[in-house]
Formats: sequence, C-alpha cells, structure tokens
Amino acid sequence: MDREKQKNELIGFLRTIQRPDYPLDEIDENLGLTESGLIDSLALLQIITYLEQTYDVDFREKGIDPGELRSVRTILDLIAREIAT
Amino acid sequence: MFLDINVGHLTELLTGRTLNRREIAFRVAERVEQYQDEGLARGDRVLVCYGNNLEFFIDLLAVWHLGASFVPIDGRLSAFEVENLARAVRPRFILVDSKADNSITTAITAAGAKVITPPRNVSKQAHSVAMPFNSRTRLDDEALILFTSGSTGTPKGVVHTHRSLRARWIALRESLGVQSYDRTLCLLPTHFGHGLICNCLFPWLSGLDLYIAPAFSTDFLMQLGHLIDDHKITFLSSVPSMWGLTLKASKPPQSQSLRRIHCGSAPLGAHLWKQIQEWAGTREVFNAYGITETGSWVAGTTVGDFVPEDGLIGIPWGAVIRILSSREPAAAFDLDSPCKTEETGYVWINTAALMQGYDGQQQLTDEVMSGGWFLTGDVGLIDQRGWLYLKGREREEINKGGTKIYPQDIDAVVERFEHTREVCTFGIADPLYGQNVAMAVVLKNDDAITIRALHGWMKRHLAEFKMPIRWYILDSFPPNARGKISRRVVQESCAQRAPLDLQKILRAQP
Repeated sequence: MDREKQKNELIGFLRTIQRPDYPLDEIDENLGLTESGLIDSLALLQIITYLEQTYDVDFREKGIDPGELRSVRTILDLIAREIAT
Repeated sequence: MFLDINVGHLTELLTGRTLNRREIAFRVAERVEQYQDEGLARGDRVLVCYGNNLEFFIDLLAVWHLGASFVPIDGRLSAFEVENLARAVRPRFILVDSKADNSITTAITAAGAKVITPPRNVSKQAHSVAMPFNSRTRLDDEALILFTSGSTGTPKGVVHTHRSLRARWIALRESLGVQSYDRTLCLLPTHFGHGLICNCLFPWLSGLDLYIAPAFSTDFLMQLGHLIDDHKITFLSSVPSMWGLTLKASKPPQSQSLRRIHCGSAPLGAHLWKQIQEWAGTREVFNAYGITETGSWVAGTTVGDFVPEDGLIGIPWGAVIRILSSREPAAAFDLDSPCKTEETGYVWINTAALMQGYDGQQQLTDEVMSGGWFLTGDVGLIDQRGWLYLKGREREEINKGGTKIYPQDIDAVVERFEHTREVCTFGIADPLYGQNVAMAVVLKNDDAITIRALHGWMKRHLAEFKMPIRWYILDSFPPNARGKISRRVVQESCAQRAPLDLQKILRAQP
C-alpha cells in the first residue's frame, strides 16, 4: 500500500474518532492531532488499536514514543518504519 | 506546630526542576513574606488556578502558614466558570499561572479580585532557613475548599479543616503504613481530593518524595514504565481510564521498584484490575474508594488474600461504614435498621476526616451529614467478611474517566441561551472514559444558525471537557410517570434516536 493510500485510510479513520464539534474540511498532515483539539487525548488509544489491527504492530512489545502519534505525518512515518522491518 | 512540615523532596517531571527540603523551606519563607505584604491573614482564602507544579505546593504551605485557606480549581475551566467561583469564594487574591489565557485574568478582575502570578524560577540561593513555624493556624481553621460542582451556578465547595485533613493522613498511616510511598508519583490533577489529599499530600507531608507530572498527560501515560524505572517510583495512584492507554502503549516497568498502585474515582472492573497487576508486576493494586467529602480514600483492599472482583472495595481505612436501608439523615442514628449482611442499601460513612460542610450551603450539608455520618450517594453491601462492595450510584454525576461532571452545570449554561426552552444533560457509555456527556435540548428555533449559536455560547461558558459529545434536538421531553422531566427517561428516549450531526452543521458555517 503506498503512502497516499495509507494517508487516505488514516484520515478516513480519524474522521470516525474526531471530536463531533470540531469543524474541519481537511486534515493537514502536520496538524497536531490532540494539540489542535481534533481528537481527544485518550483517543490516541483508538489510533494505537487501528495501527495494531491494520499494520499488525505490537506496541506492548516495542513501546511507543508519544511523538510518533503527534500528527498524520508522524503516524505515516511510523507505519513506513514498521513495514520496512 | 501541628502540621507535619517534614516534607519530602519535590520533583516536577515535565521540566526536571527539583527542590530539596531546605530549598522548599526557603521558597515557602519567600512566599510567606510576599503574601503577608499582600495582606493575607488568618481566615482569608486564596483561589489557585493552576496545579501539578512546584509552585502549587510551595503556595499551599505558604497560605497555610498564614492561617488562610487554599482553594485550588481546575485550570481547564472557562473564564465564565472561574469568575463564578471567584465571586463565591471571595478570595483575598487569586494565583494565576503566567501561561493563563487573558480571558481568565479579565474575568477575575471583573469579579473584583486581585490577580497574582507567582514567579516560576527556582531560586537556588537557599540559605539555612527552617520551615516556617505554623503559628497562625488553628486545628479547626478552614484549610482547603475543593469544588465538586456548581461551576456555572451555585458552587458546591467541600470545606476541609486542618483537623479533618490530619485525621485522613493519620488514618492512612495507621491503615496502610508509609513504607510503600517513599517515591510517589502523581499523574492526577491536584485540584481534587484523590489527587491532592491522598496521592500527593499524604506521602509528601509524611516526609516522603513526590514526583509531579502534568495531570492525565498522555505522553507520560505512554511512557509510564520508563518513568517508574527512571525515578525508581514506589507508588502511584490512578483512575481506571488512564490504564487503557498505558497497557497498550507503555512497556511494563523493569526495575521492580513499584510496590503499590491505587486506582479510584471510578469503578475498577476485575478484568482491568488483573491487567494492571500483571503490567505492574505486583499484586498490590488496590481499588481505593474515596469521596472528596471524606478526605478521599476511606476504604480499599489491603494486603491479604483477595481476588479482584467487580465492585469489590474492601475494608475501611480509618472509618466506620454502615449500609442502611434509608437515605434520610435521621437514619444514621437509627441503629435498629441497618441492612443485613450482603443486603444492598445506602452507604453511610463515619470518619474523623469528614468535611466541615459545603461552603455557605447549610441545607445541602444537612441533606448528607448527620451526627458525624455522611451519606455517600453510593449503593452497596457488606459481605460476611466485612468487605464493602459497591453496586451502583444514586448521584446524577457523569464520571468521565474519574473527572466528575454534573449535568446541572451544563443545564445551567444552556438554559441561559436565549433560544432554549428545555435542556437535559445526561451520561452515556463511552469506550475510553467509561462515561461521557450527552445533551437533549428543546429549542425555540432548531435551525442550523441557532444550533451554531448555541454551540458558540456553550464553548464560551463551559470548560472543553464538559462539552457534550452527543446532541439530541427534541420537540419536547417525555415526562416520567409523575409528569416530570427525568434524566433517565430522556436518556432512554434519546437512545432510540439518531443524534444530531453537529460536525456537519458546524462545517457548513458560512
């Protein structure tokens, strides 16, 4: 799956968990997901679950750097690293 | 001196700033001088709009030294809510963080209060200064006011005296000892009882070291295992909703420093309980039951042969607990009518750590306190072993991940919106927080312009975490059997309907 497709799927997923009262037409790749208020901070749990299920990443085993979930771009970078390994 | 001012070291994990006992004494002495110059005297109150940092604890001791009362509030509250609380508290001055939004200081000024922003730079020029002798404070002086609800209407402030706080700490020392709390981590907000009275002050004022993290910080939760190892943490308290993220994202601690974990402020299910035990590598994970009014932790499972169970609390920690069939205050004196063993009823607590009352609300106080007994609002039973189990809650609060949100606070804001006819806020199940906020509203006009205006009105008046995540626009509310509006009936009616697509309406904003 190429990065563009991963991005579209990720943004599609973020749309399902974003705060209901956050009006946004487009999600910029560099937008801070929790800092901007797009998603609730504890919703990071849902992103982790999405990555586990879609890309078979075991965070319990490897741990996670919070910065890796900061934005769409950092998450896509994380996916790229996981696929490469 | 009756306060245990043999404090431990303080470390702020976000910045790495740390203070030893001598430096703390020096900083407290500095603040005492400054606040004395500001006219702070015995019987005064100081409202504090920040928490979870070094300054908070320095200010607490300085305010207590001068015989005044410390009133910490949630730093996430809206300017409207802060102004409302400031008017109710009538503080000598209000401490505001330098990072606070301008709207907060404007609101405070509008309430006629003085704003002080304490400096954050930690002075290292600590001379040999002894901790100030606490000569002005009396045991029955008001020490702490913690607001549990009413930020948008009539505030409900729980007043604790030095006597009730000291009773809590002594009870905890007798019930739990202090051996496990050498290096305590606080991840909870310091403006509520669980975080402040028990997680922080109980160990810190026992001379043990305290490590302070930003409240509920997801960055810290995802690194909790490392954090515990790096600082050799021996104890932390928590709320159940914190653990979802930690168990998924954080490696377990490896150093075996952790001796005990408490979990409270919301029901802890047996499954999660066992997962925490496994992650932490210790069986010493206790479901700590507490209420702000009782000085927080008042019962829990202590060392012994217990298996995590849904609803299990355990034995009292410095309290007597009775299950009564009545919730009327007079029932507390009626020793002939307790529930039988394993019979469910209302949970009443008698403890020396009980609050003085709700600030300026005698009637409200009388509804829950009688002869030293306190009606918790919880429903439960005591089994053959004398262990307390909770079975439900009678209070209307919405427990969003351990943060209590009162539907009345949201109703009060929406009712003031010019196009509102009726409003009813209620809790809904939430996979992350356990519960979250939903709202049903009847509007005079329910077009998109009005809904957007209502949303803007609520954003201006309510803290972000109180905003309903689900909206229902109704033509009228279904009455209950007695013809009145019931939150439960409205909630059940809404469960059959599709919620408003608020995002679509807001995105279509011209």
